[in-house]
Amino acid sequence: MPLPSKAFQRWLHGIAPDASTADVCRISGIKRTTLAQQLVRGKVAEATLVSISRAFNVNPVAALATFEAYAGLAGEAVPPTPAELVSQIDTLDLLRAMVARSAPGTAGPGQSLAATPHATSVRNWVDAIDDGELRHRVSEATRIAPQNFSAHLTANRLPPELAVATSRAAGVGPAGGLVATGLITEAEAGWPAGARQEALDRMTRGELALLAGERLQALGKSLRRQEQDHERTERIWENLG
Amino acid sequence: MTSILPWATLAVCLLMAVARIPSAIRGENRVLFYLFSLITLDILLSIEGPYLAIDSWLGGFNLTNLLLRFLLYGTFLLLGIKLATGFGSPAGVRAITGGAGLAVLAIVAALTAWFFLVTDTRGSTVGLTGLQGSPSLEAYAALGRLYPGYVAVCLMPGIWRTVAGAGPLLLRGTSGLLLLGLLLLVSSQIFPLIPTENAWLLPLINYSAALATVLGLGGIWLSKAYYRRKSHRDPGFSQKY
Repeated sequence: MPLPSKAFQRWLHGIAPDASTADVCRISGIKRTTLAQQLVRGKVAEATLVSISRAFNVNPVAALATFEAYAGLAGEAVPPTPAELVSQIDTLDLLRAMVARSAPGTAGPGQSLAATPHATSVRNWVDAIDDGELRHRVSEATRIAPQNFSAHLTANRLPPELAVATSRAAGVGPAGGLVATGLITEAEAGWPAGARQEALDRMTRGELALLAGERLQALGKSLRRQEQDHERTERIWENLG
Repeated sequence: MTSILPWATLAVCLLMAVARIPSAIRGENRVLFYLFSLITLDILLSIEGPYLAIDSWLGGFNLTNLLLRFLLYGTFLLLGIKLATGFGSPAGVRAITGGAGLAVLAIVAALTAWFFLVTDTRGSTVGLTGLQGSPSLEAYAALGRLYPGYVAVCLMPGIWRTVAGAGPLLLRGTSGLLLLGLLLLVSSQIFPLIPTENAWLLPLINYSAALATVLGLGGIWLSKAYYRRKSHRDPGFSQKY
């Protein structure tokens, strides 16, 4: 659920008392019409708040925490679990690490990990914190239908409030889901710099191979599905176009 | 409204047929040109003015209606083959062109001719609505609805998969239109159950079915042209579809 206009304007006045709406839009790179529309509708998107926070050097998580719906984000940042950290590493980076460790010297110069989020970050994050009953608890707590939750994961997205509710249901740090959805960066969530790389380095070769294998399997399935959809479309056009 | 609809349908069909002439000359998918021409002829023969003119020339005992029936069977055979092949439904192709499908066609065609011969059909009247009702006339009309309905049912699963699938939006929409046309066609099986005071519904359903089918079919062609042009301008797009 997006943020109520009134509370948002109170917050905005708090961080930039002298700035006009035009200034705020210019500094944060938000289109004026977009903000105006969100304010008129009474629902300001979380992404808008995050952009403005960044422009005014306010931590977005702390900013979100001032709103009632996100009160759970307040307080000291909870460190991410190793599984959460590894879930936020791009599949290609996992494969690169696998090659580098299996045959040192053949993988080229060491590269830093790609920034969060990656192409399947949301589903991988949920899988990393799921004890088998997570989806059930989330749908119980938020009244979201399980198939709608799955649809979000397949589309690699999750509304921020649902992401926070999912963290709470899993008992992990509340901001992890916001990193996975790309709303905030890992630094903004209070994840230590290099934490993902360290978590990756701590994995054994076997663990790494299994994880990379799982990711490849999922990637292969999704690519195959895309190819089949493509073939189906082409056949229709070839016969009927 | 009910008097404009037949002519509007005829105009749309004729437009489609004419629009297919250039590609037919180039040798691309000529069957589509034949198909649109056949549908145009079917519609022409089902409109009162042209029907009476042609039937008076053929002797005035509604031979034109029998001719129209056979033209319709041919149209649906062709339509069925093209659509089932295009929408990737091998079961559909088998059901239409396999032994069972051809047997259905042969039996329906033979019975249609027989019931026509045993009915007193003197006096030109479009749709045979002006003739004295008799069981053989009812059977003749039912057979005329049966084969198109059979083909439509064979095609539906394949088309539905595309509508519900992950193809380009325009293609899914236009396939939906096609599906709607076939659905209306199948619904015509219950015509005898419609009370006579609602008889105006019958031509409305028939022409809506024809219009939706033809527009859906033309839309597929349009969607191909649209996405081809788009992927030409933006190469990244073709990787998606």
